[in-house]
Amino acid sequence: MKRLASLLKQPWLWAWGGALAVWLATAAYTQGQGSGQVLSAALTFGAFFVIVALGQMFVITLGPGNVDLSIPACMTLAGTVSMKAMEGSGAMLPIGLLLALAVGLVVGGVNYTLIRLLRIPPIIATLSSSFIFQSAAIWWNRGLRVKPPTALADFATAKVAGIPVIAIAVILLAACGHVLLTRTVYGRSVVAIGQNMRAAHLAGIKVERVRAATYMMCATLAGLCGFLLAGFSGGAALNMGEEYLLSSIAVVVIGGTSVAGGFANVPGLWGAALFLFLLVTMLNTMGAGAGLRMVLTGLIIIGVIVAASGGKRRT
Amino acid sequence: MRTFTKAALLATVAAVAALPGQGAWADTSGKRIALSNNYAGNSWRQAMLRSWDKVTSQAVSDGVVAAADAFTTAENQVTEQAAQIQNLILQGYDAIVINAASPEGLNGAVQEACDAGVTVVSFDGIVTAECAWRIAVDFKQMGKDEVLYLADRLPEGGNLLEIRGLAGVFVDDEISAGIHEGVAETGKFEVVGSVHGNWAQDVAQKAVAGILPSLPEIVGVVTQGGDGYGAAQAIAASGRDMPIIVMGNRHDELTWWKEQKDANGYETMSVSIAPGVSTLAFWVAQQILDGADVPKDLTVPFLRIDQDNLEENLANTEPGGVANVEYSLGDAQGVIAGAM
Repeated sequence: MKRLASLLKQPWLWAWGGALAVWLATAAYTQGQGSGQVLSAALTFGAFFVIVALGQMFVITLGPGNVDLSIPACMTLAGTVSMKAMEGSGAMLPIGLLLALAVGLVVGGVNYTLIRLLRIPPIIATLSSSFIFQSAAIWWNRGLRVKPPTALADFATAKVAGIPVIAIAVILLAACGHVLLTRTVYGRSVVAIGQNMRAAHLAGIKVERVRAATYMMCATLAGLCGFLLAGFSGGAALNMGEEYLLSSIAVVVIGGTSVAGGFANVPGLWGAALFLFLLVTMLNTMGAGAGLRMVLTGLIIIGVIVAASGGKRRT
Repeated sequence: MRTFTKAALLATVAAVAALPGQGAWADTSGKRIALSNNYAGNSWRQAMLRSWDKVTSQAVSDGVVAAADAFTTAENQVTEQAAQIQNLILQGYDAIVINAASPEGLNGAVQEACDAGVTVVSFDGIVTAECAWRIAVDFKQMGKDEVLYLADRLPEGGNLLEIRGLAGVFVDDEISAGIHEGVAETGKFEVVGSVHGNWAQDVAQKAVAGILPSLPEIVGVVTQGGDGYGAAQAIAASGRDMPIIVMGNRHDELTWWKEQKDANGYETMSVSIAPGVSTLAFWVAQQILDGADVPKDLTVPFLRIDQDNLEENLANTEPGGVANVEYSLGDAQGVIAGAM
C-alpha cells in the first residue's frame, strides 16, 4: 500500500497515464484496428522528441530563465551539414555523425559564450543565435534536400520484432540520461544549481562549468536528433526542426520536470513524448478539425500539467 | 531623391520620345523595382529568390530596369514587413513586388506606397488593397484538379486520404475547399481521413503514420505539395498497397515517382506553382511601369507534370528543389492579355 502511494506521487506517472488513456481511447474508437501499428509509430516519432527533450530537460533544470530555443536551428544546421558532407555515401557515415555532433557542440559553445561573456539572458541568447544558425543552414545548401546514405535511412527506419530500432536506441540513451541525472556528480550538480545557484556555488560546485557543459550537451543532442531525423525522413530540410521548439519544452514539462528548475526526471520524457504523438493521432483519427484539435491539445496539456503538479513537488 | 528620380525619368521619357524606333524597354531603364518578401525558410522560397535573382540581374544588365533588389524579412511578421515597405517607399523605388505575410495586414503600408506613386504588385501571398495588382493562384482549382484527375483514373471511386497544409492559412483552406468541391461534384469519393502535414515532408510522414492504421483501404491521397514523399514513406512502411498519391513538384516527390514508374509502372500527376512566379510578378511590374494597361487581378498558370513529361521535368529540377520555370516578358504579356 505504501509502495502504491509512493508510486502515485511519481511526477512521471501522469504523462504515462495520459499516453495510455489516449491510446486506449483511439483503440476503442477504431475497435482495436491498427492499434499496434499506432504504438509502433508513436515509439518511432516519440524517439525524436525524447532526444531533444533530454537535453532541454537538463537545461531547464538549471533553474529559472534557462531554456534553449536554438534547438530547431541546431537540428537543421547539423542535418544539413552532415547530409551534404556524406552526399549519400555510406562510407562517410561516421564522419557525418561526428560532424553533426560537432555542429551541436559548437552551437552549444556559442550559446553559452553569449550567455556568459555577454551576459545575455539564455532565452534571448539562444533565440538570437538560432537566427544565425538557421541562416548558416540556408547559406550552406540553399534549401536543397540532400538524400541520406542508404545505411542511415535503413537504420532509422528498421524494426526488430515490430519495435523500431531507433526507439530501442533512444530508450538506452534515456537510461544513460537517467543515470547521469541521478547517479553522477554532474547530474546532482545540475539539480542543485536549479534549486539554488548561490547555495550550490557555496557548496563548492563549479556552477559555470556545469552550465557550459549542459548547454553544450543539449545542443549536441539536438545535432544528433537532426542527423537521425534527416536519415529517417529522406534528407535534411530547412524547416525540419520547426516542430521541435515548443515540443521539446512541452515534453519536458508534461513529463513532470519542474519548469522552475531544480527537479527533473527522465521516465516522464518518454511518457510525454508518446502522449503528445498519440494525442494528435487520436484527434486526427476521430476527424477533429484543425481548430478543435489545437484547442483540445492545449486543454489536455494544461490538464496533465496541472494534474502532475497537483501533488507535493520538491522545488 | 524622389525629385531626382522623377527628373531623370522625365529626361528618359523625353529622350525616348525623341528617338522613335527604339525598343519600348527604354521607358523603364531608369526604374527601380524592389521585392518585399516575407519568408525564406523553405526550399520553395529559396528557389523563388534564386529565380528572381537570375531573371532580374539579366534584366538589369540588359538595361531593362535600373535595379531589382530583393529584401526578405527575418520573422515572417506583418509589422516587420509593413516597416520594410515603408523603408522601400523612402528609398524611392518605383515599384514594389510583394509576397505578403498577410492579405489584409499590409494594406496600410501598401496604400502609403500607392499614395507615394509607387506601383505595387503582389503575388503568391497577395494583398487586398484596391490600388495594388494581384497575381493570384487559383488554389481552389488546383485542389479540384487533383480530384478530377483521380476521378479519371479511378472510375470506381473509393476512399481518399487528404493531407492538408498549415492550419489557419488561407492557401490551406482554399486547396482543401477545392478538393471537397471536387469530391462532391464527382460523387464517387469519400475523404476518410484528413491530417495536417504543414507542407513539410517529415510532418506529413508523422501524421500519416499516425492515422493510417485506423483507416480502411485508401485508393488515393490528395496533397498540397511538399507532403507527397512523406506520405509515400509512411504508406510504404505500413505495408499497404500504394494508392495514387498526387505529388507537388518537389524533387524528392518526382524522384520517388520516377523510381516507382520504372519499377512497377506507377502512374500519378504532380501540380504546384513554380517558384519562378516571382519573375512573372517582376515582368508585370515592369509592364505597368512601361505604361501598359494591366488588369488588377491576374492568375498564375499551374505547373503540372504528367506521366509523359516526368523525366524532362525531373531533369530540370535541382536535387532537393522544386520544379521551376522562369517567366519571360512574353509570358507576362500573355498572362496580361489572357486577363483582359
